[in-house]
Amino acid sequence: MARARFSITQLPGFGLIAIVTFVMLYLPIIILVMFSFNEGVSQSRWEGFSLQWYQAAFNNTQVRDVSLRSLWLAVTASGLATVLATLAALGTTRVGRFPGQTMIYALINQPLMVPEIVTGIALLIFVAAIKVQTGYTGMGYLVAAHTAFCIPFAYLPIRARLETLDHALEAAAADLYASPIQAFRYITLPLMVPGILAGFMLGFVISLDTVVITEFVKSAGQDTLPTYMLGQLRRTVTPEMNAIATLFLALSLVIVTAFFLITRTRGR
Amino acid sequence: MRGHGWKWLLCTPALIVLLLAASGPLLIVAVYSFLSPGNMGGVSWEFTLEAWFRVFFRRDIFEPDLVEWNTAHLQVFWRSIWLSLQTTFICAFLGFPTAWFIATRPRLTRTIWLFLITIPFWTNLLIRTFAIQEMIRNNGTINAVLMWTGLIDSPIQMMFTEFAVLLGMAYVFLPLMVLPLYAAMEKMDFSLVEAGYDLYASRLNVLWHVILPQVKPGFIAGSILVFIPAIGAYVTPRILGGGRTMMLGNLIALQFGQGRNWPLGAALALLMLVVVVGALIFYLRVVGRNDEVRRG
Amino acid sequence: MQKEIEITGLNKSFGQGASAFHALSGIDLSIGSGEFFTLLGPSGCGKTTLLRIIAGFEEPSTGVLKINGKEVTGLGPSKRPINTVFQSYALFPHMSVADNIGFGLKMLGKPKSEIKSTVAEMLQLVRMEAMADRLPSEISGGQQQRVALARALAPRPRVLLLDEPLSALDLKLRKEMQSELKRLQAETGITFVFVTHDQEEALTMSDRIAVMSAGEILQLGPPQEIYNAPVNRFVADFIGDTNFLILRVKEIGNGEAVLELPGGRQASARLPESISPPVGSRVTAVIRPEQAEPTAAGQGEMQAVVEAATFFGTDTHLHLLLDDAQGFVLRRQNRPDQPSPAPGTRLGLSFAPGALRVLED
Repeated sequence: MARARFSITQLPGFGLIAIVTFVMLYLPIIILVMFSFNEGVSQSRWEGFSLQWYQAAFNNTQVRDVSLRSLWLAVTASGLATVLATLAALGTTRVGRFPGQTMIYALINQPLMVPEIVTGIALLIFVAAIKVQTGYTGMGYLVAAHTAFCIPFAYLPIRARLETLDHALEAAAADLYASPIQAFRYITLPLMVPGILAGFMLGFVISLDTVVITEFVKSAGQDTLPTYMLGQLRRTVTPEMNAIATLFLALSLVIVTAFFLITRTRGR
Repeated sequence: MRGHGWKWLLCTPALIVLLLAASGPLLIVAVYSFLSPGNMGGVSWEFTLEAWFRVFFRRDIFEPDLVEWNTAHLQVFWRSIWLSLQTTFICAFLGFPTAWFIATRPRLTRTIWLFLITIPFWTNLLIRTFAIQEMIRNNGTINAVLMWTGLIDSPIQMMFTEFAVLLGMAYVFLPLMVLPLYAAMEKMDFSLVEAGYDLYASRLNVLWHVILPQVKPGFIAGSILVFIPAIGAYVTPRILGGGRTMMLGNLIALQFGQGRNWPLGAALALLMLVVVVGALIFYLRVVGRNDEVRRG
Repeated sequence: MQKEIEITGLNKSFGQGASAFHALSGIDLSIGSGEFFTLLGPSGCGKTTLLRIIAGFEEPSTGVLKINGKEVTGLGPSKRPINTVFQSYALFPHMSVADNIGFGLKMLGKPKSEIKSTVAEMLQLVRMEAMADRLPSEISGGQQQRVALARALAPRPRVLLLDEPLSALDLKLRKEMQSELKRLQAETGITFVFVTHDQEEALTMSDRIAVMSAGEILQLGPPQEIYNAPVNRFVADFIGDTNFLILRVKEIGNGEAVLELPGGRQASARLPESISPPVGSRVTAVIRPEQAEPTAAGQGEMQAVVEAATFFGTDTHLHLLLDDAQGFVLRRQNRPDQPSPAPGTRLGLSFAPGALRVLED
């Protein structure tokens, strides 16, 4: 009788569980995407292919409004967070220990540690107090909240990138007669670009996904796509919601893929 | 270059934003938890421990001296902890073989599998919860399939049960378990596995005595990474659990909505924060100790 | 010889107070113009710190450093007419080979045409013309090494510092680059200061060597002198292989000591100026393994028994036991007509006058 080849990496049942896990992870998403193309209203009975729900979504002015607001907010907040995180990374990476460093790390990482619901109600209380004092009800609150929330996510890849940079590169630039500003302009900054891009994209995706904080901070008429969806999910939903979710997923997928490719080529 | 001032200067803009929109508001929450509730939400500036008292106890409406446990709150606390622990366990049970599967693929396909785990990690939690809702609704995919096969006549009620919340949380937090486990396995020295087999160990022996001790830090990291957002969950129990299977996050939110007891909500939020920070400190201690052992 | 680098009374310590680490103490050194000068020592001996101080990456705690007669303490690396070849090469990964080489000239504000012609000249000098547009990640380790050299040479520095530049290369490539470095130095006439822990590399390439240990220069001189006349046990042990013998002093005089050898015969050995051991005391003496010859048993200065013979291709190492039970290794060139003696064979040992030297401990 022929025996199966012995493999040291094989453990009984592991392959099966892994495959089942992957199927479980993707099946609900695939079904969600599939029914966005359904001809009928049902989300469990296939009635033929159609793009009508995408059309409905595009024609829905409310969806258009909240989508544009989400994108604007994500670009603004993530852009701001990336600039701030880049500065902070330059101040904290490869500079040796200095007094207050632990506190800076704790502050930067705080949004990662504190549950969103706690940050959400904390901002609700704070914003309510400021609104009473100033009467300002603009987008500033959402921008500030999202920026703070994006900072740790933008900071991580920038810092990681900076840490992989050889100190000798800047020493070599100085040795070759570059001033500190020239060394930063010609060596450090160009080499940081992949990290900065990755940080921006991460921040963008995070801001786009954030629902709890937005829900508690937003004023009337400041719904973003996620809070709009959250409100709609209470009612009976039509495949229009699937179409919106699918477009949203596609956008995230593009950004995540780009992020993955950028960080993978880091070794160069 | 000798002074530290320039480092602080570079960090200052980020710190200002974080203090204004993350840390500062938390301090206000702490203050609010010691104030009296206002008439229409908000607070009135009178110091009291009433909010903290009401986290655990309640008074009889007619006889204010009659104090009893606030069973409704205790039930929510217990449900939050129990569901979070179950979620962590399910994620570990599914995540360990999955991470192992990825880590033992050839280099090229490994990247693809890893990518497949990373995608859900970065896609919207709301959408993934929505996808689960579509699966388990009364007229959702699972019930439709079961009725089509004739196994059941009428749909099984899955929405708005603890099962639904558990399923949803395990689904959305699974990548958080797989990724640190994978990181630990990738660093693992596979020649130790070979040495185990060379010294007559069975597969189970190798798993228990060789592999598990090496990936333990990844296990702890993954468990904490799942447990913390599970304790803080708000969106998933809100959509899948509804009013009857509320978790701590929903109880907090409730105090700022219909309940309108901001101090109580603030106190509950701080309680959640204490649990989360406790879990984090536990994690840092355990991982820190592991590192020391390794260095020693 | 004109002095290119002059270092006097240089000290460097890291940290303060009792926990301070003294990386360099009391360094006095002058390096001549056009010299190939090597700092040799084990890792942690301070050689790289000294190099970094010359380059301007570190400031000395005390002492004076002059380049071409001018005091440069306090001047940053970008203000010194010195360039460095880094151990990791530190090639800018986002710039092409040509842009890397031209970087220094660009920073000096040279016109584009001059940069272009100098880069072309440098590419030719290191034989990398075909690789001008490649990125550093697209060329081999040996080629990266050449680019690092060309980049450091392009601004025509007065001094080129090389920090273990060959340590990342494999043996064959290392040999090739050694002669390449000698050629480049001869062609450009630039002063080279070379740091290495590889004694063979130091011996083959240098005009002069400074052997360093624990932050001090132990011996300074041409390779032959370092090898043939090590001043102390550390230098003798670090450079090449050596037999250490503990011998009794019979007589002293005229800068020489008469020592009693195992087996009773006597031989005279040169004494270092720094010591004068009393008659009757024991001193450490050395003989290089290739500076003794086997003779027939009963002849020669010492008698020994063969314990083992190890074959090395070009030569064989005979592990011997002397009459007083001290070990001795003898290196003998292999010849087809001379089989190595079997273990247990008795033989005599003779050595040329001057091969035996007394060391300060």
